[in-house]
Amino acid sequence: MNKILTAKIIRLAKHGFKTRLLAAAAMTCSILSMQLPADPSNAVLILNSDNSVGRYALAQSTFEASQTGEKIIIDLGDGQPHDEVIQKLFQQSKIKITYAIGSNAYMLINQLAADSKIIFSSAINWQRLPLEDHTFGVSNELPAGMQLMTFRYLFPDVRKIGIVYSEKFNEEWVAEAVKSARDAGIEIIGKSIDDHTELAPALRSLLPKVDALWLISDPSVLSSKDATMEIFGQSNAMKKPVFAYDKIYTDLGALLIISPDIYTISRQAAALVDDLLTGTKITEKVVSPAGSHVILNMKTLNSFNVRLNQDALDSVNQVIE
Amino acid sequence: MKTTLIKYFVLAVLLWFFAVPCYPGAGEKEPQSILYFYNSETNINNFVSLKITFDTYLSQFGDYYFQPFSDQSNFESFVAENDKGVMLLSSWHYSMLKDQASLVPALIGVSNNKTTQRKILSTQHDIESINDLKGKKIATASNISYSENLLREMVGSANEDVVSSVKFVLVPKDIDALMAVGFGIASAALTSEKSLENFKDINEKQYSQLRQLGISKEILLTLAVVHQKADAGAAKLLATLMKMSTNPDGKLKLRMLGLDDWRPLTPSELATLNVTEVKGK
Repeated sequence: MNKILTAKIIRLAKHGFKTRLLAAAAMTCSILSMQLPADPSNAVLILNSDNSVGRYALAQSTFEASQTGEKIIIDLGDGQPHDEVIQKLFQQSKIKITYAIGSNAYMLINQLAADSKIIFSSAINWQRLPLEDHTFGVSNELPAGMQLMTFRYLFPDVRKIGIVYSEKFNEEWVAEAVKSARDAGIEIIGKSIDDHTELAPALRSLLPKVDALWLISDPSVLSSKDATMEIFGQSNAMKKPVFAYDKIYTDLGALLIISPDIYTISRQAAALVDDLLTGTKITEKVVSPAGSHVILNMKTLNSFNVRLNQDALDSVNQVIE
Repeated sequence: MKTTLIKYFVLAVLLWFFAVPCYPGAGEKEPQSILYFYNSETNINNFVSLKITFDTYLSQFGDYYFQPFSDQSNFESFVAENDKGVMLLSSWHYSMLKDQASLVPALIGVSNNKTTQRKILSTQHDIESINDLKGKKIATASNISYSENLLREMVGSANEDVVSSVKFVLVPKDIDALMAVGFGIASAALTSEKSLENFKDINEKQYSQLRQLGISKEILLTLAVVHQKADAGAAKLLATLMKMSTNPDGKLKLRMLGLDDWRPLTPSELATLNVTEVKGK
């Protein structure tokens, strides 16, 4: 690392004094903000999109605890320039594999070291990322079937679940969910809308036919705060529980939140890194999360007429009372 | 006269001092008792939620609080250095610790009227023998050393190479482990028999595609243990645990630990744990 710093300072000497001073300060900060092992040969580069984001920080700490090899850690959220340092690390063959946490980290490493091996996680909608032959990852989305089985486990009497969605964003996903639901003994009743003006009538038509509403991530449906309020307003008025994907919806009265378990995802990423380091063949480029984080809102449960399978309570990660 | 009054006053103070028993009376605070928790059989990571839930419940009955541990070695060091409170831990973990930490089991967890469970190794259908598991991923909600031990017991010492070659995928819950197999994320799952029965109820198709390749002996459920030198506070905390199932709210909290009651251990359960002497007996 001293060699990189020295080379950088010599190069800076060719420029004006102010530029030199500012650039040297930035470079020093960038280097100081990295966490380096004693001998970083063949290290794993942990590239974090922003370690001040809780889920990214958790992904990093879990990965660090699960992966025993040498590591170099760079936090892209620290406000320092890192491109040159990363390029140098690759030019000097210091990095064996990069673990990219979040989409920004993935996009950057894919741009700076396109031929290197990359494992990613915590990237929203990974399907839009450019994937290469040497790129692998852990999806941030739970398979619909896993979520449906969890609904069934916790609420055995909920057999008809409604989804409002837009064909533009979720046609295939809903088709897959309908198929998976049959295996779990659940019927999915979908109602597609083209824009926010169709939301309220769609809910009025759908809610009387279902036992619960499944709120999925769909920009046409969740187009504004008013749209979200409309969904919860109608559902709560009709005493129909809402199953959602993010904790923010518990304040509005969502009964159940299922999201991927970050600990599990990061351990899966660490296992993929181990597979690459040991030359084990990886059969699937992007694997699904193997575990979920389940939040149960007891306040909503107590005000709705929904039977909870109490035997399943040990599968709930968090109870809101 | 004044001297006599002072003498009587001093005498009254001394009499009061010796007459009042040296245990907490009305208005005096009882010593705090702590319920420590680490369970090698569950990969629980909801410590904040669990702590809030149990603290809220226990505080109704005394100055009690709940202290979960996420790390086995931290828990073990703590238990070795501390002789107060009550500890909840797996029977497997108790067997490992009982001699070095002088622990005695006081209560055993009950689930569906049973104090034991069996663990099952369920695999994808194309895994027909133990040997086919070599190098494969096994999903488990228990910690690694417990899972390794369990697998070793199931496959026998002749298959040690299989045990050392498998990769464990740690998941939060038994049901996740089974779904990981169902969705092709892992080749096998190590779960309780009860979880497998639940899995059958929620997706018979995926259940029918599983093969049961190994089964453990009956394993005692979670234990509540105390140190041999435990104080009166621990005894009161144990009594509070015993009453949890009679309180609807307490019963709900117990379910979060996968139990529905506590009761004292029978002689045969103590014998299973190789315990010959129990405090208070």
